Amino acid sequence: MSNKLNTKDLINIGIFTAIYFAVFYVTGMIGYIPICEVLVPLLLPLVTGIPFMLFLTKIDKFGMVTIMGIIVSLILFATGHSWLVMAVGIPCAVIADLILKSGEYKSWRKIIVGFCIFSEWIMGAMLPMWIMRDAYFDRIRAGYGDEYTDTLMSLMSGWMIAVMALMVVVGGIAGAYIGRSTLKRHFERAGIA
Amino acid sequence: MVVFENVSFTYKNGEQKNGIYDINLSIGKGEVVVLCGESGCGKTTITRLINGLIPNYYEGSLSGQVLLGGRVVHTMPIYETAKIVGSVFQNPRSQFFNVDTTSEIAFGCENMGLPEKEIEKRIKDTIIDFKIETLMDRNIFHLSGGEKQKVACASVYADMPDIFVLDEPSSNLDAASIEELRRIIGIWKSRGKTIIIAEHRLYYLRELADQLIYLKDGRIENEFSAERIKNITAQSLSEMGLRALKLEELKGRERSFVEKVECLHLYDFFFSYKNGYQAMAIEQLQIPKNTVIAVVGENGAGKSTFARCLCGLEKRCNGVLENSGTIYKRRKRLKSCYMVMQDVNHQLFAESVLDEVLLGMDKKDVGKAENILESLDLLQLKNLHPMSLSGGQKQRVAIAGAIASKREIIVFDEPTSGLDLLHMKEVSVNIDRLCQMGKTVFIISHDLELIFECCTQVLYFKKGNAEGPYPLDVKEERKLISFFEINNYETMQGVN
Amino acid sequence: MKEQPSQSLPANAYLNLDPRTKLFLLLIISTIMISGEIRGMALYARLVLAAIPFVLLILGRRAKAAAIYAILFAAAWLAEAFLIYNTKGIANIVIVMLSGLISRFVPCVIMGYYTISTTRVSEFLAAMERMRFPRNITIPIAVMFRFFPTIAEESHSIDNAMKMRGIGARSFVGNPAVALEYRLVPLLMSVVKIGDELSASALTRGLGGPEKRTNVCKIGFGAWDAAFASLAVSAAVFYFVSLGG
Repeated sequence: MSNKLNTKDLINIGIFTAIYFAVFYVTGMIGYIPICEVLVPLLLPLVTGIPFMLFLTKIDKFGMVTIMGIIVSLILFATGHSWLVMAVGIPCAVIADLILKSGEYKSWRKIIVGFCIFSEWIMGAMLPMWIMRDAYFDRIRAGYGDEYTDTLMSLMSGWMIAVMALMVVVGGIAGAYIGRSTLKRHFERAGIA
Repeated sequence: MVVFENVSFTYKNGEQKNGIYDINLSIGKGEVVVLCGESGCGKTTITRLINGLIPNYYEGSLSGQVLLGGRVVHTMPIYETAKIVGSVFQNPRSQFFNVDTTSEIAFGCENMGLPEKEIEKRIKDTIIDFKIETLMDRNIFHLSGGEKQKVACASVYADMPDIFVLDEPSSNLDAASIEELRRIIGIWKSRGKTIIIAEHRLYYLRELADQLIYLKDGRIENEFSAERIKNITAQSLSEMGLRALKLEELKGRERSFVEKVECLHLYDFFFSYKNGYQAMAIEQLQIPKNTVIAVVGENGAGKSTFARCLCGLEKRCNGVLENSGTIYKRRKRLKSCYMVMQDVNHQLFAESVLDEVLLGMDKKDVGKAENILESLDLLQLKNLHPMSLSGGQKQRVAIAGAIASKREIIVFDEPTSGLDLLHMKEVSVNIDRLCQMGKTVFIISHDLELIFECCTQVLYFKKGNAEGPYPLDVKEERKLISFFEINNYETMQGVN
Repeated sequence: MKEQPSQSLPANAYLNLDPRTKLFLLLIISTIMISGEIRGMALYARLVLAAIPFVLLILGRRAKAAAIYAILFAAAWLAEAFLIYNTKGIANIVIVMLSGLISRFVPCVIMGYYTISTTRVSEFLAAMERMRFPRNITIPIAVMFRFFPTIAEESHSIDNAMKMRGIGARSFVGNPAVALEYRLVPLLMSVVKIGDELSASALTRGLGGPEKRTNVCKIGFGAWDAAFASLAVSAAVFYFVSLGG
């Protein structure tokens, strides 16, 4: 089997990107409820694990995950996220693809790692919050002085980004296991995996 | 034009269909050939050999060769074959690559890299030939099944192939759309195209076919020329497992009608879409209990809307069902009606057939579930995943779920589209069984043969209004046949 | 929102920008708006950029959306200008956060909404082909857009089935993992099957051949594109210059 993506592969990439997008978009709506926003980095990889694991069984060629990542980032940009989502999402997708490829898209360890890295595009979508936050702090420092500002900053400190990135990883691991379990119990037995 | 020389083929996984053996065929240019036979006889396989999907998409072992105008198909890359052969498939929903109609018509030509001016010209010509101005520039997802199939045919025509291959194109269409399909095939024939159609529904092709080829177990059993087609008796059709050639010859079975029977009363079933369009307006209906009611009407007349509202699936419908003094509003109806959907795949959720039946039970009772499975000949499959079963088996699993749910009202939405005679009769037997259990069964169907097999009442839907139900006696049968026949086929002279 | 709002503009819209222009505007607007400086002259640059989606919506005959946007943005802008200095404590934090979020992100979201809802799939594809995106990207994107309505339809039907069988929202509370399965598994099975049929069908229509695809969809740059693009560029330049100064 050649390593070039043929028409059927490209169509499959399109289909699974559509599902991936639909699933995370609906799940992401939870982020509009004020407090739940922090759950998004955990939830998104969790639910997208199922379609992603099925996707990996359909094609075994390099480019499948990269293209998905490019398209997802592109569409997110077109809906109003900053270009940061592409700057983070696309490299993540490429690295994920390389890792997955090195395991022939079958090594379970590499699948988990690859999926987590791929899912980190979410950080690209959330980064603007932090950039905005810095500008905000500059401004209120001017208005309120250092003490007030420092207190506030400690509440929303930079390590929040690290926490969120970690939540993506946790969600990703869980999502991968859920995906694999669903694969075994349903898709393989139905003959479509 | 199309020649099969000693062709045999078996699928690699053996999962799908059985193979075909020692096929020798010769189809001349401009001929219309119909391939028929029971499910699994190989007619679809033959169409795939003509349009190149075998061996480019479906793998297996092939011997012999298929020639199109002298060229061997399996040595041609499929994009070359696509230039000579145009394919129309069974299910409109999976044929479209684009979201708007105009792009879809241009699609094949764009793939071939034709210059823009040429493509625009072809689009214009196609619109004129097919009379589809009103369908241009529209969202495909908003079209009806018949309109989608029409656009599919037009799109393939714009590619200007010499050969057309159709695989059960009438499966999901209503009577009016089938007539449109017949007209389109007629247009193609008049342009000298060679057309091969694999079909179950034969009646609309009676006047068009030059050859009828009957396949059984992968081999050609019989060939009928145009003359002989007209003389095939209903009896031999039935023996061959084929559907009716002449609708007007259909007869229902003997039925006895009980005079005073308890009724379900429906009141105030109104439903409008968000844009204000009123899809259904029923003030009152009396439905005799414990009968099998055929729900008929053109697409868009309100049958599916009625089914969904009856089952309580539409929030905006506030109709009321009264059964022996008990009032059933929407929420209660949700628990007392069971729908077997057109696409059974949408309602199977469990990991095993047994679990699927248990899912419908309030109190899980494995023994009872197994009994139900046994009665439907499914017990040996109880540990298999529902989605791994054949279409007919899945439908029976859904019926098992219906029985397990103990609900009184069961609605079937097009249970037999695309089924051959044998499987249609099986469905009819199961529906009979449900009726014997005391259920009231509604069947939305375009399949006249099914209706004659198992229905005892008819409910007509026209533009959102319901007429009936009428008992399906001999007089009503005649009325039903003429309701289904848009044109009288006997007087059809030639084509176009 | 699983539906693809890919309707084109109503026939009486005043302008139709090339998709590439829309993407370009998106780039500039999102970059500038999110970095969010409000000191000095940079403020006016941001105001100009925020006005662009508003004008586009009006010209595209989506007055209602334009009005909602204008009210939201004006409220946030004014809050940032005045209220943050006049309130204290928790109220202050909430107001600053909310107004900051809205004034920075809403213009981008609205511009995104405008882009998606006024560009037809074929226009989008034609734009990508002109930008020389490889087939490996354009074909999956085309398929993706084509599948959104399908996913919506299948999903709706499965929803109905779940309601009918009594395994809808109720079971979610009990066991969310199972509910997720019920929601996704039939959907995936169904969509994969449709996808396989679609692949076969596309092959029979010659997709994947070696010839370069033509595209009959007409797109191209016009006066409006030039006008909006230069406006955006000037605002951006002005913004950066005033920051540096």
